[in-house]
Amino acid sequence: MKSLLSFFIVFVAINLDLYAAEAGMPQLDPTYWASQAFWLVLVFSILYFFISKFYLPKIKDNLDNRDNKIKEDLENANKFKEQSETKLKEYEKILDDAKKDVLKIHFESKNILNKDIQSKKESMENEIGKEISKAQKEILEIKKNSITSIQNISENIASNIIENISGEKLNESSIKATVEEISKKNIYRYL
Amino acid sequence: MANNPMQQFTVHKIGPEIKIAGVDLSFTNASLFMVISASIILLFLFFGSKEKKIIPDKLQLIAELFYTFVAKMISDTAGSKAKPYFPFIFCLFMFVLFCNMVGMLPYSFTVTSHIIVTLIMALFIFVAVTIIGFIKHGFKYFSIFVPSGVPAVLLPLITIIEIISYLSRPVSLSVRLFANMMAGHTMLKVFGGFVVSLGILGGWLPLSFSVALTGLEILVAFLQAYVFAILTCIYLNDALNLHH
Repeated sequence: MKSLLSFFIVFVAINLDLYAAEAGMPQLDPTYWASQAFWLVLVFSILYFFISKFYLPKIKDNLDNRDNKIKEDLENANKFKEQSETKLKEYEKILDDAKKDVLKIHFESKNILNKDIQSKKESMENEIGKEISKAQKEILEIKKNSITSIQNISENIASNIIENISGEKLNESSIKATVEEISKKNIYRYL
Repeated sequence: MANNPMQQFTVHKIGPEIKIAGVDLSFTNASLFMVISASIILLFLFFGSKEKKIIPDKLQLIAELFYTFVAKMISDTAGSKAKPYFPFIFCLFMFVLFCNMVGMLPYSFTVTSHIIVTLIMALFIFVAVTIIGFIKHGFKYFSIFVPSGVPAVLLPLITIIEIISYLSRPVSLSVRLFANMMAGHTMLKVFGGFVVSLGILGGWLPLSFSVALTGLEILVAFLQAYVFAILTCIYLNDALNLHH
């Protein structure tokens, strides 16, 4: 490897020496300097004219357009975002209000219903009580009536039985007194 | 001699001789490749800016990349005052870049490997920058040679150095581009010659060198165009902003 490299270096030296002796630098030959200068100025001027007049403004326009578009889009996006946020807030507010309303309505209706039920219950109880006391009175009366009629009937039955058995009429007042006495003894069973 | 590595730089006439006032202005192979490079640039920019799409196609994207690349270069080095000179610097960058790149093609001619071409561009830039400096700042532009914050003892020396460095700008600018292009192409040619002369057994090593050098030369072609343009921007910055 080393020998190869040194061989290269020697080769380079020889070659360059040869060429330097033969040609030198064509760059320093002034034959075509004027021509090169002339054509350089011409070509560069044309290039400059076209680039500065047509292409750079176009590219700049395009870049500006894109920047503006991006800016606009970003602004729009921000605007929409804000809008959606306000909408969301409104929505949440509405939802909250609705929840409160629901609670309120629920509570109120519960109260009303309770009151209603209470009052109806009370009136029903009153009526029921009235009916019951009325019925009790009636029952009592009926019972009293029935006792007197039972006494009468038992007096009749007793006088009839006695008449039929003994063939003679007993004193009505004594029968009555006896029946009364017996019924008084047993009346507690029916009252 | 076809093996001569300098032979690729010879200029020869194409077509009839054109003489204006005794000066030979014939169309040469150098002129041809200037025209080819310029045509490629114009065609590329034509198709790159033809359709104004919001989402660019490939050519449009590349053209816009070049635009933003040069625009950023100028605004970074010379500030916003250099905006009016943007087309010139864009043009300069594109021309040098495409001349270098076209020169990388086999059997082509590298326009920028000639000192006269680069010197004319550099001299134009030098003269233009100096004129701009004097127009913008008048006689205050001479203060570019007197840096601030230098002790009085050193001032004459520094001023002389500054003047020399200012005057050597066109030389350094032109020789840098010319020497880089010439050296690279000479080296490629020399290694190419080795491939032939060492034959099938020994030719592989210089061939691989050649391949590597071609890659390097493409890099150099881009880099030198960039350096040429950015140095122009820096000189322009000196002339426009004058903060030395």
